[in-house]
Amino acid sequence: MSILTSRDVLRPGPKGFKAWIQRVVFALMPGFFTFLRRWKPVMKLGNNYLTSRYDDVREVFATDPAFGVVYKPHLDVIMGGQPFFLGMADTEQYRHDTDAMRRVVRPADVPKLAAQTEALGEQIVAGADGRIDVVDTLVRRVTFTMLGDYLGVPDPPGGDLRVWGTRLFEFQFVDQGNDPALRKEVDEIAPALRMHIQNEIARRRIEPGKDDVLARCLALQAAGDPAYSDDFIRTSLTGFIVGGPPQPPMVVPQAMEQLLRRPKVLAEAQAAARAGDDDRLRRYVLEAMRFDPLAPGLPRVALTDWTLGRGTSHAVTIPAGAQVLAAFASAMMDPRRVADPRLFDPNRPASDYMHFGFGLHECFGRHINHATLHLMLKPLLRQPNLRRASGKEGKLTKNGPFAERLVVTYG
Amino acid sequence: MRQTTLSVALEVKPESYDHLSSLLDKLRERRDPDPSGGTGPFADFLTRVPAVHFMSLSVFPGFDYDPLFVIEANFDGEKGPFWAQLESAIGPELRAMLRCCKRPLDNDGPLFDSITAKDARAPIAPYLERRSLTPTVFHHGNRGMTRDRILAEHKLFEATRVELGCANVDGPNPYRSLTPRQIHAKLRAAVHPDFTWLDETAPKRIPLAQNIGDWVRLIGFIVAAVFVLSLPGLFLSLAMPWERYLILLAVVFVGIAMRLKQIGVALPGTAVATRFSFLKFFFSQLIPLVLFVLFYLVVAVAIGTPLSMLATARHFDAAWHGMVIWLLWGLAGAPVVIAGIVLWLRVIERRDASQDAPPVDPVMLREMARREDWIPQNHMGSLVLIKPGILRMILIRAGHRGLGLVLRIIARKGYLGSMRTIHFAHWAMVNNRSRLMFFSNFDQTWESYLDDFIEKAHAGLTLAWCCGVGFPPTRFLVKDGASHGRQFKEWARHSMAVSRFWYSAYKDLTAEQIERNFRIAIGLRKRTLSDKDAALWINDL
Repeated sequence: MSILTSRDVLRPGPKGFKAWIQRVVFALMPGFFTFLRRWKPVMKLGNNYLTSRYDDVREVFATDPAFGVVYKPHLDVIMGGQPFFLGMADTEQYRHDTDAMRRVVRPADVPKLAAQTEALGEQIVAGADGRIDVVDTLVRRVTFTMLGDYLGVPDPPGGDLRVWGTRLFEFQFVDQGNDPALRKEVDEIAPALRMHIQNEIARRRIEPGKDDVLARCLALQAAGDPAYSDDFIRTSLTGFIVGGPPQPPMVVPQAMEQLLRRPKVLAEAQAAARAGDDDRLRRYVLEAMRFDPLAPGLPRVALTDWTLGRGTSHAVTIPAGAQVLAAFASAMMDPRRVADPRLFDPNRPASDYMHFGFGLHECFGRHINHATLHLMLKPLLRQPNLRRASGKEGKLTKNGPFAERLVVTYG
Repeated sequence: MRQTTLSVALEVKPESYDHLSSLLDKLRERRDPDPSGGTGPFADFLTRVPAVHFMSLSVFPGFDYDPLFVIEANFDGEKGPFWAQLESAIGPELRAMLRCCKRPLDNDGPLFDSITAKDARAPIAPYLERRSLTPTVFHHGNRGMTRDRILAEHKLFEATRVELGCANVDGPNPYRSLTPRQIHAKLRAAVHPDFTWLDETAPKRIPLAQNIGDWVRLIGFIVAAVFVLSLPGLFLSLAMPWERYLILLAVVFVGIAMRLKQIGVALPGTAVATRFSFLKFFFSQLIPLVLFVLFYLVVAVAIGTPLSMLATARHFDAAWHGMVIWLLWGLAGAPVVIAGIVLWLRVIERRDASQDAPPVDPVMLREMARREDWIPQNHMGSLVLIKPGILRMILIRAGHRGLGLVLRIIARKGYLGSMRTIHFAHWAMVNNRSRLMFFSNFDQTWESYLDDFIEKAHAGLTLAWCCGVGFPPTRFLVKDGASHGRQFKEWARHSMAVSRFWYSAYKDLTAEQIERNFRIAIGLRKRTLSDKDAALWINDL
């Protein structure tokens, strides 16, 4: 079967000993970072530097003139060489492109997206007959449906946007080793996705249809705004599909797993869901995500020689060209800046979280995430007698950094 | 939960004084047009810095020193997370303020450069943490009450008011005909659905470990002080036959006492009538004193005997017996040493200059007055020069240390003795310990606050502040001093700066009201009360 018509969202994960090693590595990571925070806050590994303390991670994210993003080479493959702001420094074009997209991705949309998310989740949970896979059946379906609809990018004919988006996400953000098998798939998917969106642009130009991001771009294009060229619209929507919807199916089931591990906390989150206290529920989900965030960290590349933590006892000069991992998962567990980091506390201040990055490349969709992530779980949390399914599938399994399966039962 | 009080004092570039003041004013204006603040954009301080109770940012103009920028903060938990929260809330503004400050000449210079350089983006929290000053004395009014608990219990209080007021608006209030016990049961049933935390056990305001720590630190301090005071006696007793030693002690003590009798009286025009007498105080504390001396002996013998065995190769029996004798000789010398210190102090006090009419800048006074009395709480920050001299410096440090430790023991029920108006107050030394800062967050007006202090806590106040240049004349560290009410107030006003930015997380609550809310909540947490307890409890409703 061609990858373009495949329904397998994730590639087959490692098996046997390799899988066991991977699990052990993931399990040991929090302890390893605790060690680093205490003894080696900035650790050199060849030409790579690991930063683990809150202050240093924040400095790396905030100092974008010294620590640039590393995404451009893979983005060029996905976008066919067209520039996308995720790969840019703080240039005029970056500001122009992000401003242009902020004109069509509007704050006023957020409440509607939240309502749509909750309704979709409600519908899926109601139809699941008391047993559901949180990863694929619930969160992935809700995310891709809601965001695809909002952006104006439907499933491609014969293809599955969930597969295409997730593969390209893996290539863009996970594949540090340039896996040839994955690259082969990307070389098929990327042009196909670009073509699919270009076709949508052409179709919607004739039949504008409903109000969504694509329709707004085309309206501005028709009004003569030069920012909204076809290339820009296509590249931006491609970037949003690659960078956006593949993430909630990773992190939201991980949050659910953390809630399931804490029965008292789960009961409180369920009470908030049942009471319709969305703000409180959001706090529970964000806090649960802190215990198992999207990734250990985000990579950056040193653009110039830079002394990190200058003036402190652990100051390290990072040479230009070195790769830096800003370990935001570790930062959120740093007791120097986060009070009682091992305590599950849903009343934490915003400064304790770095789920959506920080600084120039803080997640473009953070407001949408803020309004919707918890609502993906809300319909499930409202169910009576919510518990893990028996056996292995009742515990979250992962395929590399991707959440793969977590089945819960209710009713 | 542990509460923390600290301050950061940074020297300001003289040419940046006005700019820094304007930055502080701008930050303050971000709150709300209403000078009491709290409802404008700045209200998000409550959620972004959830640890903070009170915070102030002030700039003290300087005549003897360059201006001083002071961040005063009173908050729940450890300082590291607090600084991160504060940076998240007002980081860019703080960075601009830090750029008005002088680069430290010590090892913190590179850290300062990294946060104040052009386009710098490094976090400022590490620098603020590094420059944090530990108070020499501090007082937490509603000790052990976290900010969230204060706010939650006030909500509960308001709910009880609504329930009691609206129980039956059209007819007689049903609560009037109930017994106290029934009132408790009915009120609890009415508010319980909205306050389910009433079923939870109330967190201890002072956890056991903290309680033990307070006592251990105080006892350790006193043991160390007694040991230091007995050191001259310990050495002399080794060098002299005991008969001559005793004669020497007696002669010196009598000589000092006679001299003290001569100069111990107040200088003309400086006496303030007081019922306090050192002799009466000494006799009232005689039993605890004797017990303490015994305790001291036990501790000192336990520590000293093994050392003695090690140094002299004596057997245990001989070692501990010798140690007891030696320590007793040392203790015998302690009163003479104390008397000598008191005499020395009194000689110095008699030569001290006090300022009769400290100048107050009228513009500054107007600025202060403009900011006071908008809400039930007020704030003051003061900075004074410390009098010179080695004895004074030793006494200030020891006195502040002892006073601070005593406050941790005696001020645990929300009040400082009979003073019920202080939320948070602290002293700290700055400029290489040559100046003393005082910050207080209190209820009612500045005048009434100082009157309260003058009437009810003048001895402690004098002890803490008598080292300030120009302070009203004092006797023996605690007498007179702040009792010179008018002079003391003028001196205090003279030392104050405008509280340009001041934040209170619960601006409508007095310290007294917080304790009242606490008592009501404690009662409502109980499912039932006895008739006697309920009768007491309803007094707070």
